[in-house]
Amino acid sequence: MDLDTDVPMEDVEEHQTKLKVTNPKASTSTNNSNTNGRNTLSSNVHDENAIGSINQLDEWIDKLSKCEPLSEADVKKLCDMAIEVLQFEENVQPVHVPVTICGDVHGQFHDLIELFKIGGPCPDTNYLFMGDYVDRGYYSVETVSYLVCMKVRYPNRITILRGNHESRQITQVYGFYDECLRKYGSAAVWKLFTDLFDYFPITALVDNKVFCLHGGLSPMIETIDQVRELNRIQEVPHEGPMCDLLWSDPDDRGGWGISPRGAGFTFGQDISEQFNHTNDLSLIARAHQLVMEGFSWSHQESVVTIFSAPNYCYRCGNQAAIMEVDEQHNRQFLQYDPSVRPGEPTVTRKTPDYFL
Amino acid sequence: MDDFNDELFPLALLMDELKHDDVSNRVDAMQKLDTIAIALGPERTLKELLPFLKDVAQDDEEEVFAVLASKLGDFIPLIGGHQYCEPLIQILTILASMEEPIVRDKAIDSLNKISLELTVEELNNIFLSLIQSLSTGDWFSKKIASCGLYKAVIIKVNSSIRKELLNLYLKLVCDEYPMVRRSAASNLPTLIDLLTEFTEIKPNDANKVNNEDWDIISKMFQHLINDDQDSVKLLSIDVLISILEFFQKINEQSFNSEFLSSSLKLIKDESWRVRYAAAERFTSIAKNFVNNESDLFQLIDPFINLMKDNEGEVRKAIAKQLPSFSQLLTKYPSTKATILNKIIPVVNNLSQDSQESVRASLASTITDLSPILEKQSTIEKLLPIFLVMLKDEFPDVRLNIISNLSVVNETIGINLLSTNLLPAITELAQDHKWRVRLAIIEYIPKLAKQLGEPFFNDELLSLCMSWLWDPVFAIRDAAVNNSKELTIIFGSQWAEHEIINRLLNESSTNDDNNNLNNIDYSNFIIRITCLFTITRLIPVIDYSIISKKVLPFINNLIVDAVPNIRFNVAKSYFVAAETLIKNRRKFGISDEDLNKVINLEILSNLEKLQNDEDVDVRYFASKSIQGINELLA
Repeated sequence: MDLDTDVPMEDVEEHQTKLKVTNPKASTSTNNSNTNGRNTLSSNVHDENAIGSINQLDEWIDKLSKCEPLSEADVKKLCDMAIEVLQFEENVQPVHVPVTICGDVHGQFHDLIELFKIGGPCPDTNYLFMGDYVDRGYYSVETVSYLVCMKVRYPNRITILRGNHESRQITQVYGFYDECLRKYGSAAVWKLFTDLFDYFPITALVDNKVFCLHGGLSPMIETIDQVRELNRIQEVPHEGPMCDLLWSDPDDRGGWGISPRGAGFTFGQDISEQFNHTNDLSLIARAHQLVMEGFSWSHQESVVTIFSAPNYCYRCGNQAAIMEVDEQHNRQFLQYDPSVRPGEPTVTRKTPDYFL
Repeated sequence: MDDFNDELFPLALLMDELKHDDVSNRVDAMQKLDTIAIALGPERTLKELLPFLKDVAQDDEEEVFAVLASKLGDFIPLIGGHQYCEPLIQILTILASMEEPIVRDKAIDSLNKISLELTVEELNNIFLSLIQSLSTGDWFSKKIASCGLYKAVIIKVNSSIRKELLNLYLKLVCDEYPMVRRSAASNLPTLIDLLTEFTEIKPNDANKVNNEDWDIISKMFQHLINDDQDSVKLLSIDVLISILEFFQKINEQSFNSEFLSSSLKLIKDESWRVRYAAAERFTSIAKNFVNNESDLFQLIDPFINLMKDNEGEVRKAIAKQLPSFSQLLTKYPSTKATILNKIIPVVNNLSQDSQESVRASLASTITDLSPILEKQSTIEKLLPIFLVMLKDEFPDVRLNIISNLSVVNETIGINLLSTNLLPAITELAQDHKWRVRLAIIEYIPKLAKQLGEPFFNDELLSLCMSWLWDPVFAIRDAAVNNSKELTIIFGSQWAEHEIINRLLNESSTNDDNNNLNNIDYSNFIIRITCLFTITRLIPVIDYSIISKKVLPFINNLIVDAVPNIRFNVAKSYFVAAETLIKNRRKFGISDEDLNKVINLEILSNLEKLQNDEDVDVRYFASKSIQGINELLA
C-alpha cells in the first residue's frame, strides 16, 4: 500500500478553540491538571451523568475484554470522552509509584490480556504503557479501544503514552487502517482514533526519577522542561524534538548518530548519562525495539528497553516483559510467553495442514 | 406522483447501490435485500426483484454472490409462499454452479433450506429435475453442487426414483474429476445416515430401503475405497462407519467379515493420511465389531501397529483412542488380557515418543486407562509411566497428566497416589512456567480433601503459602482462592491458625529465631495480597475471627500510602458487611452488635474513605456505602 501523504494534518489551534466552546466545564480545570484534582468522570459519584458514563464504560470494558470490538457510534463517544481526559494531561505526565511499566503491544490483544494476568488487573495494579498499541497484530482495534476505555474509566490508574505507530501515516502502512476498514467497513473509526492519538501524552516521569517515553532522546532536548514546552497536539512530525522522542534508539556508539529508521537519532551512553545527570534521573525507560528477552539494559543501566508483545508478529519467538517499580523504587522484571489462544487445543501448538 | 416515487424507491435504490463502483457498497446493499423485499411486497418481489437479481447473479463479484446466495435461503415467505419457488430456485441454481466454493456452498445451503418448505409434489417436479440436470452437468462445479442436494430428497421420494437417484450418485462417485468424487464421498455418509434413520422410524414403509439400494451403496463404497487419490480414499472411512452403523441398527451381521477386511485395508493403507483418518476414528469403527470376539481380536494388532506408526501425526491420533478402544476390549476375557500383555508395553514406548505433541496427546488420555486396568495393574504398570511423564521436559505433557489425575485417584486411592506423586508435585510447584504451577494449585484442594489435615499441614501447607508471594499475579490469585477452598475443607479454626495468623505476623510459633519468616509489609504487592486473601476468607470464617482479627487488619490499611490498597479496603468492607448481615443468625449476633460494627466501624471508616484525595477511593467507598445501605434496607 502506498503511503498517503495527503492525510490532512489537524490544525491544533482550531481544535482547541472548538473544544473550549463545546466543553466549557473542562476548560476551567486546565490549570489544575495534577493527578488528583483533574476533572474526571468519577470525581463525583452522585452526579447522575458521571454514573451513567461509568456504567457505560464498565459495559464497554466487559465487551472489549472478550475481544469484541465496540460499534462505530460507541467508538465516537469513547474518543470524545478520552479527549476530555487526555487533553489535560501534560507532555511529561507525572506518575506515582508503585507502577508497572509496559512496552509495545501492537494489536496482540490476547497477549495484552496475558499481560494483565501476569501483572495483575487494572485498576488494582497501576500501569504505564509506552506506546505502539496498534499495527502488526490482528486486534489493533480491540487493543486500543480497551486501553483507551481503561484510561477514561481509571485516569489515575493507567497512563498511555504515544508511540510512533500512533500516527496517521504509519497506521496506513502497517495494518491499523486496513483493520478498521475490514472491521467497520469504512475508515471512520481509524479517523477517530488517529485524531485521538494527537492528545496522548508523549512522555511520563515516575516519581521524578524514571523518565518514560516510546523512542528515546533528541539532540534538541537537554532538559525535561524543554519537553514540557512542546506543542504535542498534532500528527507526529517528520523531524524535530517530538519526532525524536518517539523514534530514537540507544546505540553502542557514543554521541548522536543517524538512525537507520529514517526518523529520530541514535544516542550513545554519554548522551544518556548526561541527560540523567542534568535532570536528576535514575533511569530512562523506553520501548520501540524488539528485544528477545522482553527487556534489555543498555548504557550501563542508564537506559532500559521494555517490549511487551510476546512472539512479535506471531513469529519472532521473543519473550515479553513488564517492569514493576515498587514504593522503594525497586525494579522487578516479569517475563512472559504468548497466551494460549481461545479455542486452540492446549495439547498442540501446530495445527497440521492435511486437508487444506 | 409522490405515490409512484414512493413505490419505486426501494428497488431503484437497490439498483443504484448495486451499480456502485466499490464492492463493499454492493455487498452492503445485498445485505439489505430482505428489507427491500419486505418493502416491495410478495408480488413485486416475485415479478420485479427476482428477474433483476437473476441478472445480477450473472454479472458481479463473488463477494456479492455469496451474500445473495445466503439471503435467498430465507426468501420463501417474502415471495408469498412455496408455490412460487421456481424463479428463486433458478437464481440459486446459477449461483450453485459457480466455481467459487463459498458461493456454491451458500447457494446449496439455501436450496436445502428452501427444500424443507416444499411439498412432496414440488420436490418431485422442481427439485428432482434440478438435481438431475446438475448431476449430469457439463462442468465439474455443477456436479459438485449436485452432491450437496441429494439429502433434500433422498427419503422423500418413492423407491424407484430413489434407486434412480442412487445410480446417478454412483456416477458422481466414479466421476473423472477428483473434486467431484471428493464432494460425492463427503456427502455420502449424510445420505446413508438419512436412510438409516428412515428405516428406523418407518421399518415397514412401502418404500423402505431394499437390497438393491444397498447394492448400489456398496458399489459406491468399493469405488471410494479403491480410489487412486488419497484425499478421496480417506473419505471412505466415514462412509464405512455410516454403513456399519446401519447394519448394526438392523442387527444384520452377515456382511461383517467383508466390512472387517475393508476396515483393515484402510487402517493399513500405504498413505499416512488415510491411516491418520482411520486412527482418528478407530473406536467408531471398532465398536461395530464388538459383538464378535474374533472380529474384535483382529483389530488389536492393527491398533498396535498404528501406535508404532512411522508418522507422528498418526501416533498422536491413535493415542487419543487408547481409553475408548481399551474399554471395548474389556468385553471378552481374551481381548481384555491383551490390554496388559500387548498394549501397555507399547503405551510405555509412546510415553517416551520423540515427538512432544504425541506425548502430550497420550498424557491427556492415559489417565483414563486406570479405571479400565483397575487398582493393582494401575499401580504396577501405569504409575511408573505417569511419573516419567510428570517429569517430561515439555510442559503440556505434565499439565495434561496433572489435570486428569482425579480419575486415577478414584482407582487407587489418595494415599498411594500422594506418596508416589508428592515429590513430583513439589517439583512442579516450582516450575518456571506459571501455567504448570497454576495447574498444581488448582489440584491442591482435591488433594487436601483426601490427605487430611495433619498430613496436609506437614507436606503441602508451606508450599501453598509460598504461592501467595509468587511474582505472577495469576498464581497469587489462584493461591488466594486456594486458601478459601482449603478453609472450606479444614474449617475456620484452621484458617485462623495456619493462614490469618501467619499473614498478620501473629503466628504462635514466632519466636526470635523465627522472625525471618515474618512478612515484610513494605512492598505494596505483599500488602494487597494479604488484603485479598483475608477478604476472600471473610465469607467462610467465624464471626469472632472477623471481628478480632480481620476488621482490625483492614482498619489499619485505610491510611495506606497507596490508593490501590485504600480502594480495595473499601471493597473489603462491603464483603465484611455483607457477610455479617447475611450470617447474623448463624453467627448469633444481636441487632445491637451488628449495628455497632456496621455503623461505628465499617460505615464510619468508609465515610473517611469517601473524602479521600484519590477519586477511585472515593468512588469505591461510595459504592460500598450504597451497597451496604441497600442490604440494610
